[in-house]
Amino acid sequence: SAVLALDEASRMVDPSGRITTVKSAQKFFSEDKDRSFEAKMMDESARLLALQQQLEAESDGKISFFGQSVNETIRRCIVNGMLKKADKIKSDFKVSDKRFWYTKLHALTEIRDFEGLDAF
Amino acid sequence: MSTEDIQDSEPPLDTNIFKEISKKALVDALNSVNGSKTLVLDPSLAGPLGLVTEVALLKHHGVDKMFWLEAGPLSSNTTNIVYLCRPMIKYVRIISGHIKRHAKESSKHNYTLLLVPRLSSLVSRLLEEEGVLGDITISAYNLQFLPIADDVLSLEYESAFKDIWVDGDESVVYDSAQALITLQKLFGLFPRLLGKGDHAARLINLLTTYLPQTSNPDTLFEPSTIFDSLIVIDRRVDMITPLLTQLTYEGLIDEVIGVRNSHVELPASLVNPPAPQAGVAAAPPPAPTSSTSLRKENRKKYHLTSTDPLFTELRDLNFSNIGKRLNGVAHKLEEDYKRNHSDLHSKTTAQLREVVGRIGGLQSEHQSLRIHTGISELLDPITRTEQFNKSLEIQQNLLASYNVSEQVSSIEEMIAQGADLEMVIRLLCLASITTGGIKAKALENIKRDFLQTYGYNFLPLLLSLAAPSLAILLPNPLPPSTPPEVTAFKYPFVPLRKSLRLLIDDNLEALDEVENDISFVYSGYAPISVRLVQCVAQKGGVLSNPAEKEKTSEQNKGSFGGKVQAHPIVGWKGFEDILATIPGKTVDIMQNAIGAAAPLGAIAQHKVKTTTSVVFFLGGCTYTEIAALRWVARQNRGRNIIIATTGIINGTNIVDGLAGIQKTITGTKDAGI
Repeated sequence: SAVLALDEASRMVDPSGRITTVKSAQKFFSEDKDRSFEAKMMDESARLLALQQQLEAESDGKISFFGQSVNETIRRCIVNGMLKKADKIKSDFKVSDKRFWYTKLHALTEIRDFEGLDAF
Repeated sequence: MSTEDIQDSEPPLDTNIFKEISKKALVDALNSVNGSKTLVLDPSLAGPLGLVTEVALLKHHGVDKMFWLEAGPLSSNTTNIVYLCRPMIKYVRIISGHIKRHAKESSKHNYTLLLVPRLSSLVSRLLEEEGVLGDITISAYNLQFLPIADDVLSLEYESAFKDIWVDGDESVVYDSAQALITLQKLFGLFPRLLGKGDHAARLINLLTTYLPQTSNPDTLFEPSTIFDSLIVIDRRVDMITPLLTQLTYEGLIDEVIGVRNSHVELPASLVNPPAPQAGVAAAPPPAPTSSTSLRKENRKKYHLTSTDPLFTELRDLNFSNIGKRLNGVAHKLEEDYKRNHSDLHSKTTAQLREVVGRIGGLQSEHQSLRIHTGISELLDPITRTEQFNKSLEIQQNLLASYNVSEQVSSIEEMIAQGADLEMVIRLLCLASITTGGIKAKALENIKRDFLQTYGYNFLPLLLSLAAPSLAILLPNPLPPSTPPEVTAFKYPFVPLRKSLRLLIDDNLEALDEVENDISFVYSGYAPISVRLVQCVAQKGGVLSNPAEKEKTSEQNKGSFGGKVQAHPIVGWKGFEDILATIPGKTVDIMQNAIGAAAPLGAIAQHKVKTTTSVVFFLGGCTYTEIAALRWVARQNRGRNIIIATTGIINGTNIVDGLAGIQKTITGTKDAGI
């Protein structure tokens, strides 16, 4: 049933509705004690969606974040010069250093920010 | 072209007969509707149908226009509308949508629904619920085995793997049984049925219990003189093989570019020669250019067929040999051209005519050489990328159980670098199967990395990989609450590696020269599934390397050809213990004419005659397995192998299927046909 809720969530376009269904999936998972990992992940997922909504609002809807993965969100933050946000996501979602640096590296190369690259 | 191999294993039965059957059934089905009609086609069927027929034939039988079966309005000038689709709920909804809309617009149509491969009560129930059952005639179009090569039959059922092991939908098993029964109707009963795996057992059970009810055809009760056995391998029995990267030419094309219904999409400039070509045999089928461009360049479908002699020669070779082989062919071709050129100076008309005739053949050869050189040029840079080689290295290390924890962190690194989702999942599952589970803590970290990188929406994918029916991505130790069937399915990879001789320490030099074991298809690893077939059909091949033995004994035998006569089928004998360690049921049934035991004479006869074993892969097989089985068939005189499968798979399309990733079906309305 949790998977069903997820399936539903992935089809939803409306942001708030999507967060609600992900949360309900999280509840389903948390009822089963063997599924604590899945529950945790769903919790993260809901947090991410909320954060993305906030990011979109801050950038006046110019950059779309909603529904992207953590890595992609970080990448878009860096590409658009929101380095602080990227660092915050890293700590909020416990992104490993290795993965963060690779993402950052790719992002900086993409926008040809050689000063940023130099600062590595 | 080297033809010894082909002559030696000339196809024992004409697989094209299946094409004819399917074609005739389609024509009959179309003709059952009078007058001109509009054909509405399930996109997933276009490819398989393209193997059967061409647009001209459909037009000839009254098809006026063709559309994809899609939601939205359907406008048709003909009164007859024929739907052709797999029995799926979403299609039924679309169809009833069409009918209702037409009713509202009060345009009159006759609807016919052709279900592939058979009627489904679910569909009629649904239509009834929608209130349109009365408006539509339902019948079946029995599309079964399609020949995709001289020795390969496929049901071209793409979702078979997912249906059985994720959704628990066993209609594929039933359809497979139906198709195998058709095979028996044509050629007689399989004298012996062997199988490994729970679903294989179910399939064989269906085959044996279904028989008495079937009416009439006499052949059903006669043991076949052509077949000696049917070997059913359940995909669940060998999950390792499809997870590995295929290294044969055809396999690699499938991995990198993707082969659908034995068509591959290539850049148009590669398929269409710059200068017009006269070559007929190798000319690409006149498929209209697909308008969708995957990358920058237009793509065009190219049919990989066994009528192309060069491809037949190349398809099963390890990719490392391809360059050399192409080079050789190019040289030969150049010489031939030169010779013709000098021949042109000779004046007699008879000679001239002969030369001109030869040129036609050369041109088609030239054309196919050009295409295959082009394809290998496409593949080559990819096989040189760091990611490709890293993943190969991880695969080989995992197979050898070498420094497992390091491999797991390498996979983590690949995720960090944003490698292909499919590749990551394949490696993870491989790690889990070969080691009996990834350490719980590490697995949790990886899963987390995975979800954060590729998106939380892939959680269901991870869940279904760990679900009891599949259980190919598991933590170690298993949580105490694990259902017993999962623990029972624990795969004994390490003992198997020894008992089935899965890893071959070949030095690469030798590998280049001769393919002396089936392991050439994965550069040193022998697919378990094919080893199991060898347990039945070529017992010596499992224990030691037949090719090596052959070399040593060749002097003694003199010019005997060096091939060993195939031993008769004696079931799993000698390998019962090994089979028992692999999860899933083992089956071995004799199937004789009703009531009477097969006379001894018949068995003795088998020794002299060439017989054929059918290997059926339930849940799909890879091109490398086909290549390996062809190799097995070449080793023995007196036994051919026909490969039948629910479809062609590779690790990537398994993962995509599980994840619900829909690779865009390219092509215009009738590109596939």
